[in-house]
Amino acid sequence: MGKYEGNPVWDDVVPIPQDDGEGALAQIAYTDEYAEAMGYLRAIMAAKEYSPRVLDLTEHIISMNAAHYTVWLYRASTLRALNTPIDKELSWMNEVALQNQKNYQIWHHRQILIDQLYPSISSDPAAIQALADSELAFMTQMFDEDSKNYHVWSYRQYLVRKLGLFNSPAELKSVENLLRKDIRNNSAWSHRFFLVFCNPEYSTPDSKATEYDARIPDAIVDRELAFAQAATFEAPQNQSPWNYIRGVLRKGGRKLSSVEQFAGEFVTLPEDDSAEDVKSSHALDFLAEAWSEEGKTEKADHALRLLADKYDRIRKNYWDWRRAPLKEKTSK
Amino acid sequence: MGESQLDTERHIKYWRRCLKSLLPTDYTSTDSSRMTLGFFILSALDLLGAGVETLPDKERANIRDWILKCQHPNGGFCGSPNHRYPDGYYVDVGHGKQLMDPANLPATFFAILSLGFVGRLDQIRRRDCLRWLKTLQRDDGSFGEFITEEGIIEGGNDTRYCYLAAAVRWALTGDQVSEEEEKDDIDVEKMVDHLRRGQTYDGGISESSEHEAHAGYTYCAIAALSLLNRLPDPSTISSSTPGTASTAKLPGLADLSGMVRWLVSRQIKYTMEEDEEEDETSSAEPLSLAELSLNESEFVGFNGRCNKKADTCYSFWVTACLDMIGSGNLIEPGPIRRFLFEQTQHRIGGFGKSPGSPPDIYHSYLGLAALATMKEPGLKSFDPALCISIQQKEKLDKMRRDALVPTRTYWKHGYSFSIREDDPAYEKTMAASEEPPRFIVDALKIVR
Ligand SMILES: [Zn+2]
Repeated sequence: MGKYEGNPVWDDVVPIPQDDGEGALAQIAYTDEYAEAMGYLRAIMAAKEYSPRVLDLTEHIISMNAAHYTVWLYRASTLRALNTPIDKELSWMNEVALQNQKNYQIWHHRQILIDQLYPSISSDPAAIQALADSELAFMTQMFDEDSKNYHVWSYRQYLVRKLGLFNSPAELKSVENLLRKDIRNNSAWSHRFFLVFCNPEYSTPDSKATEYDARIPDAIVDRELAFAQAATFEAPQNQSPWNYIRGVLRKGGRKLSSVEQFAGEFVTLPEDDSAEDVKSSHALDFLAEAWSEEGKTEKADHALRLLADKYDRIRKNYWDWRRAPLKEKTSK
Repeated sequence: MGESQLDTERHIKYWRRCLKSLLPTDYTSTDSSRMTLGFFILSALDLLGAGVETLPDKERANIRDWILKCQHPNGGFCGSPNHRYPDGYYVDVGHGKQLMDPANLPATFFAILSLGFVGRLDQIRRRDCLRWLKTLQRDDGSFGEFITEEGIIEGGNDTRYCYLAAAVRWALTGDQVSEEEEKDDIDVEKMVDHLRRGQTYDGGISESSEHEAHAGYTYCAIAALSLLNRLPDPSTISSSTPGTASTAKLPGLADLSGMVRWLVSRQIKYTMEEDEEEDETSSAEPLSLAELSLNESEFVGFNGRCNKKADTCYSFWVTACLDMIGSGNLIEPGPIRRFLFEQTQHRIGGFGKSPGSPPDIYHSYLGLAALATMKEPGLKSFDPALCISIQQKEKLDKMRRDALVPTRTYWKHGYSFSIREDDPAYEKTMAASEEPPRFIVDALKIVR
């Protein structure tokens, strides 16, 4: 006797077992528990039953196969049909998410719940703030396990838009906290870029991440440059802030050479035969591009040569490829 | 395991085991994507030269029947028989059959590719499939994973489903969509626009430009553009001098040089000490920059995002992207092969996710795919966009053309037969066809 068969609660249900047949690919050694529960789920879904026992059954299936792509939806429909309080479901999901770090469906389900909840609180700033706070607390718990969990970050970007948290001090603060813990957390850098440059208050709607946005105030560009530059001094070989600086300059419509002096702090290339001093390969790359922008072709070529032969040899082919158009220029 | 070459025999053994015996209970969490795993198994054996042609006819037919059994009556395929009900459940509700558990886009892609090994494309309900595919597209150009009975498109707006949609379209209609079928075609321009918008400030691609760039999403976007012919012809770039790719017109991508920089930056030098350290310190500063240089015995792995650890699958996602944009020559295969062979190749065959991990189907396939992209001897020539051998791609191409030729039914001695319109005997055979038997004609009248 399993969990369902012979159980008076499930007495009326005739399970629909899987029909795998002879040529089955990727057959799995299911446990009897899973095979049985699945048969009951199939029967319940076929009958379109939305009752309290469905919540138990879907929870059971999710505990064994959280990537089942329709069980979550079926659960969401059941919750709606039963008018189950959404906060109760959210706190149940916190547990599930902590146990299934890599699962995507959980976060999608969470979005569905928030979408459902939002209309009832949209005109109540205090309720929105309370929801934002409790979600932030939960995400912080998730980030304690893995501060680069992709699904959590995606969900967070969704939540910022949904609840309008671009100017929330807690939001920016929490990103700064995560960066303080790990300055190489590229997910946190990305989130900061989103918070700053997609802020509807001063950014152009639909402006691409890779293009100049004339509406971004200079003060914001300066602030972000200063923030990222400080981070490069902390860890010169960390690529995240170097990428961030490029992104900020592009958004602000400024040239790389506008911060050449800053990048130069990490690189000394003497004119004579004495040895160069390079503290960051990313600075060297940055300068190479800045110099090439300014037409200082020989200096740019020198920097790329150093990268190819000495400071970043695993990308030698790439640096050589970058040198090719410079050679064309000098020969003209 | 310390071997610097592909141990073909051991890999074949690993994949035969995956084909013939039950996967361990741990795979239960992937029960809904068995079609995906099935494809990896069939295609890995093909790449290794031990494909389904080595199986008895009966076994091939059984596999084909299993795949076809997962076909949804309304078009598309389900992820596993656990998502497919017995036929009797799909009752006609006036506007088509009841949906039950809906068809799923990844499953559809992998089922079609798998049928390429064991079946034919005319066994797919092609028109239904294409119409269903169109219903998965959203107004922003993106695609969902499936559509519910209420018409709600489910699944993220990210590049994965765009790729899968582009690939299904390629398999079923090829490059040319007939006038007659145009109304059922997806909106390609909108999809391309959506993909273009996904490029992030650091040059990679994410599920949207508001998220963190990720090599998996980047691959899906570039491969989709490649299947839609929105990338420049790689052969014209790689044969010319290096550097021209930066000026080449790449209509599908907003910032090509940023993309190349981001892709090559995914390479990281792997050192053994990394294993003993905690996650946070794994990407820590090298003690001196000189350590960034390379010598003969070093390993180069790939990460999927900036400052993450090396992982076998990203060796494929990244090298494939570079290959598709004609920049495959920007990487040095030696240290990458060495990383795969000596660090993640497993002694029982297959590849693990990272050094020391047990092999799994996903990483074992993508490990082979990465090597095949770098033209590893012992593996078939490879098409990175469809992630199958070129031979198999050509076979699919031919199967599609065959499937597109209409066939007609004719009657002889009271039995029905079918004949293709391009058959030399077509005219003669049709002219000689008998009338259908009386009872069939009557039955058809009742149905109508
Ligand atoms: Zn992986």
